[in-house]
Amino acid sequence: METVIQTTSLTKQYQGNKVVSELDLSVPAGSIYGFLGPNGAGKSTTMKMILGLVKPSEGRISVLGKPVNQKNRLAILQNTGSLIEAPAYYGHLSGRENLHLVASLKQVEEKQIDHVLRIVHMENAQHKKVSRYSLGMKQRLGLAAALLGYPKILLLDEPTNGLDPAGIQEIRELICTLPKEYGMTVLVSSHLLAEIDQMATHVGIINHGCLIFQDKLSVLHEHSRSRIFLRTTDDERALLVLKEGKLPVVLEHDMNNIRKLYVNTGKEEDILRAGRLLFSNDLGILHLAEEQKNLEDIFLDLVGRRTNA
Amino acid sequence: MKKNGSSAFRVELYKGRHRHLLLVPLGFFLVLALWSGYSHRNLDAYDLSCGYSRLFYQLPLLNCVLMPIMLSVIASRLCDMEIKGGTLKLLYTLEKKSSFYDLKFLHEFLYAMVFILGEGICIPVFGQLFHFTEPLSFSLLLRHVLCLALAAFPALCLQHILSLMVESQIAPLFVGLSGSFLGLFSCFFPHNISRLILWGYFAAFLPYGLDYDHESRISAFYPVEFPAVTFLLFTVFSLAFYIICRRIFLNKEV
Repeated sequence: METVIQTTSLTKQYQGNKVVSELDLSVPAGSIYGFLGPNGAGKSTTMKMILGLVKPSEGRISVLGKPVNQKNRLAILQNTGSLIEAPAYYGHLSGRENLHLVASLKQVEEKQIDHVLRIVHMENAQHKKVSRYSLGMKQRLGLAAALLGYPKILLLDEPTNGLDPAGIQEIRELICTLPKEYGMTVLVSSHLLAEIDQMATHVGIINHGCLIFQDKLSVLHEHSRSRIFLRTTDDERALLVLKEGKLPVVLEHDMNNIRKLYVNTGKEEDILRAGRLLFSNDLGILHLAEEQKNLEDIFLDLVGRRTNA
Repeated sequence: MKKNGSSAFRVELYKGRHRHLLLVPLGFFLVLALWSGYSHRNLDAYDLSCGYSRLFYQLPLLNCVLMPIMLSVIASRLCDMEIKGGTLKLLYTLEKKSSFYDLKFLHEFLYAMVFILGEGICIPVFGQLFHFTEPLSFSLLLRHVLCLALAAFPALCLQHILSLMVESQIAPLFVGLSGSFLGLFSCFFPHNISRLILWGYFAAFLPYGLDYDHESRISAFYPVEFPAVTFLLFTVFSLAFYIICRRIFLNKEV
């Protein structure tokens, strides 16, 4: 799959403090790439660096196969639309006038304004002054402005901020349609896993400026498959026995630093075999339970693991 | 994304819609005209014989008071819309940062020029209105307009960068107000000190001096040679100041 955004060892440092550290982001064409991380993880800074709004301290950025520098930045950005942090607007102008302004700068046809207004359901409010818009309406206007010119890449930084549940759902559905209907690639950031889970095809998890996971969302989901928690009369020996029996067994520390034995499988034949092996080695099972990791657990696990490291 | 300068400037002008920005220079011009006109009522034959000299002496002093405030209001009105709406993040993906900075400055300077040219037109109009008997020197008129535009340039540079760099527009407006006081007071400071005050240059190129005779209580205007070196140095300073301010702005990340 072709990569439309590629960063190599991308780093941003403010007064010796690394807010983005050696980031190797890879956004495949036609994907909805969910850029996930807690507040202050470095999502916005990364997106700003891709757009050339912030100068990287180190590393390279390539968009649509071309390395981005100060000279070709605007030419490359012609194929991108963005909504970073809060929506940008001129409060004294109407929504339509705001879009006219962006359309003039993007050098796109006036008729596109009507279309993008329809896409974000803003036809009725287009002549109202933007200063009188609610935050949700401003967000939609920002999205409409980003869609002008039907760019190949759309960078959306927390696009559902300030929206009511119905608005969130609407924007989410809209984002999901963009790759199919307009051939766009969407890089969307959020601190909410559930949100990314509902629209992304690919996911990158960033924490403290470091990319700790990047792959298809389905791969992340694989981590959520069920596993078996075991407590035996001797967990250390049980680990060795099950390992010898070629079972996917691990000994993990929980939040209270208590060691726990897990067999990473949900297959009944594996559970049966594990039981037989333990009994044949005089190891008693005290507790056996099926555990299912949800994405939230995986996310916290990944974030926590890197933080502790 | 090749965009020619004129289309980008049209976009810049479009941003000023519904802001009634022309009212700012026109309002200040009205104050200047009323103030100046009021002081020219009841002129005797002697006053009329030096009507233009008086005007060329008086207007720069009025400019010291009005221009810094007007420039701060113009810059603030035009930059505030970008700061309040957080538009810089969007604009820098569509146009060069330097282009945005230059065009915004040009937009502000256009409004300043409305006032400056209005003042230039006001001088011969006043001469006709009050029946000055002194002939009008068009070279002095041109010098007046040119010097006023030059003095406005670095003062606007300062207001421009302040209005773009700070969140609240109170600070740039305060600087403008302070500039008005400093500019006027600098006229009464020793020459070496007054040259250090940016806003004092609105009255630094006076074509006439005032000689007041305490015994006869008669004031007479005498021509002052054009300070060509000061003008040249100030021009160089103004351009350097613009470049420095621009560089500071370009280095700021959004």
